[in-house]
Amino acid sequence: MAFKRIVCLLAGGVMLFASTSAWSADVHGRSSTQFLWFNNYFTERKQAELAEYLNLSITNIDKDGKLSFQGYGRVTQDVRNGESINGRLYYMYGEYRGLYDRLDIRLGRQFVNYAAGTALIDGGQIDISNIGPIAFSVMGGRNVVFSLDGESGHEGDYAYGVATYLKGVKNTDLEVSWFRKLDQGDVARDILGGSFRQFLFSNIKLYANARYDLTSEVFNEVLAGVKYFPTANLILTGEWYQSYPTFDTTSIYSVFAVNRYQEGVLRADYTINDVIAVNGGYSIQDYGEGADANVYEVGVRIKPVHPVTLLLNYDQRHGYGGDLNGGTAEIIFEPTKKIELAGGIQYDVIKRDSMTGEDYARKYWLGGKYKITDKMSAAIRIEDDVNLSFKEDWQGRVVFNYDF
Amino acid sequence: MKKIFFIVALLGCALVYLQQQANAEKKTSHAEYATMEIKECNSCHKGEGVALNHDTDFVRGHRVLASKAGNNCKECHQQAFCLDCHQGGGSGDNLAVENFGRDYKPKSHRSDFRVLHPLKAKDNPQTCTRCHDQKYCTECHSKFPRNTIQFESHRRQFSDIKLTAAGPTHENFNTSQCPTCHPGGLVPTHQWSGEHAREARRNLQACQTCHDNGDVCIKCHSARTGLQVSPHPRNWGSIKDNFRSKSNGRSCIKCHDAGKF
Repeated sequence: MAFKRIVCLLAGGVMLFASTSAWSADVHGRSSTQFLWFNNYFTERKQAELAEYLNLSITNIDKDGKLSFQGYGRVTQDVRNGESINGRLYYMYGEYRGLYDRLDIRLGRQFVNYAAGTALIDGGQIDISNIGPIAFSVMGGRNVVFSLDGESGHEGDYAYGVATYLKGVKNTDLEVSWFRKLDQGDVARDILGGSFRQFLFSNIKLYANARYDLTSEVFNEVLAGVKYFPTANLILTGEWYQSYPTFDTTSIYSVFAVNRYQEGVLRADYTINDVIAVNGGYSIQDYGEGADANVYEVGVRIKPVHPVTLLLNYDQRHGYGGDLNGGTAEIIFEPTKKIELAGGIQYDVIKRDSMTGEDYARKYWLGGKYKITDKMSAAIRIEDDVNLSFKEDWQGRVVFNYDF
Repeated sequence: MKKIFFIVALLGCALVYLQQQANAEKKTSHAEYATMEIKECNSCHKGEGVALNHDTDFVRGHRVLASKAGNNCKECHQQAFCLDCHQGGGSGDNLAVENFGRDYKPKSHRSDFRVLHPLKAKDNPQTCTRCHDQKYCTECHSKFPRNTIQFESHRRQFSDIKLTAAGPTHENFNTSQCPTCHPGGLVPTHQWSGEHAREARRNLQACQTCHDNGDVCIKCHSARTGLQVSPHPRNWGSIKDNFRSKSNGRSCIKCHDAGKF
């Protein structure tokens, strides 16, 4: 049923695209044709699929350019194991901006973001602005949840909410919102949210974000942070975060006692010059009842000569839950404007607890991209996973992109 | 009355101030800079005293920028930019971006993430649910054998504990027989009972990934059978009505008889 809906909507989009010569609308987008091969871990068989992504944007439909349509989806077909055709419609909506110079209306499948919650909905969002320094937003619709092979929603799954926020104030952002999610008609989440950002003294940014669970009557998330940028190339960050893992009220786990999780973060990002940029960070994680973990992270981006970029990252975690040592190394080489070659290694060693041995995961990958024309490009990526489960596990993709 | 007047006056002053601010300094639209290289943004941003948002910390920190009404992400990005990471799409343009099966995945999911995710999921437990519904974990875990799990508390199940040194193990008894030896739900202090509770309080999401409907927990924590140990938090008395009315009793009925919660 969901797949039929996707095909109809994508077909509608293509028909709309095909008939655009009849009017003056601008139609842009990307068609991405892909061939992917991978190990299907659930069936333990190699799988190969053809995929077609279509990203469509139609603008300037009306004289004032206020109406537009946006769509993005994919269809995939397994060509090896006989699995059925599969699809995912990411969004497909029409938008009218500036109705009476005050209303922005968006209808269709869309991704909505409030401080209190985010959702992918089949519904609508209306923003009311130009009525002073404060603007309003209201949204609602069917809550769309993707599963491994389709959509996993039920009848009665909805999400809706309202928000009010500052509009147009240069150095201050403030939003207060309410978000509710229904699970088969019952209230699964009922959240009040807030978001704040303030720039000070030309070199400080304060920010905060909070979600208050109206059912559990606790702040299930609070984040407060400060960024200080004393020079143009240096950013220092300090953050404190806490959360209570509240669950949907329809889950049995929502009624269980849980500990508060807290995290403190310190990090620095420094662009030394055009050749080298470095970053480093430290996090302390507190899981309650004496359990904690420390995480260290360093990274560097080097451009030793013009067409070459080298990216190195390493992080180390010790403490509750286990230890992790790992990192990535990537090299990107662009010999001409039309060609990009890249490769990398990812290496991780993990130890879950004192009674288990070390496990590891390594990945080696290579890729290349060729820009055929301004509107056409082709790319290939091949990788090999090596870990305790696989001595080798090859997968990859070949992609042809056409922009219109 | 004085308090109300004070609050209204404060709100009024704030509105007047904000109105003045809004008129004085408008936020810059970024639509015309959408195709610029990030490094070129510095020329305006640092001069204006506004830190760049798109630094190397962007993946971790962008939630505060994007997760709010009125964000200005759409001035430069289509929703595909968000959903390619959040919902597994992609055009393969970025060679460094990997796939998990047919889905694309963000850079935070490096190496074979199936190996790393038990640990990574502990770093800020809310992170997973920003992209994955809780059912996603269960859907995936249900396809693999449960005995591959390696939590410390799972290594010695209570069903393996012997009643005496030579006696039978707990697996020989059913839940209706628990109160015979454990009146009032009292359990001797041994390692398993304490450890599983602590581990559950610290990382309850992990329990849900395999025991979706709480069937294992209910063996001891139901109000009907077993040890009848209450799993509720300390403030349960003041919030239980919220759960009952909002979930329409769907969770309550799993452990309590109708009309008794």
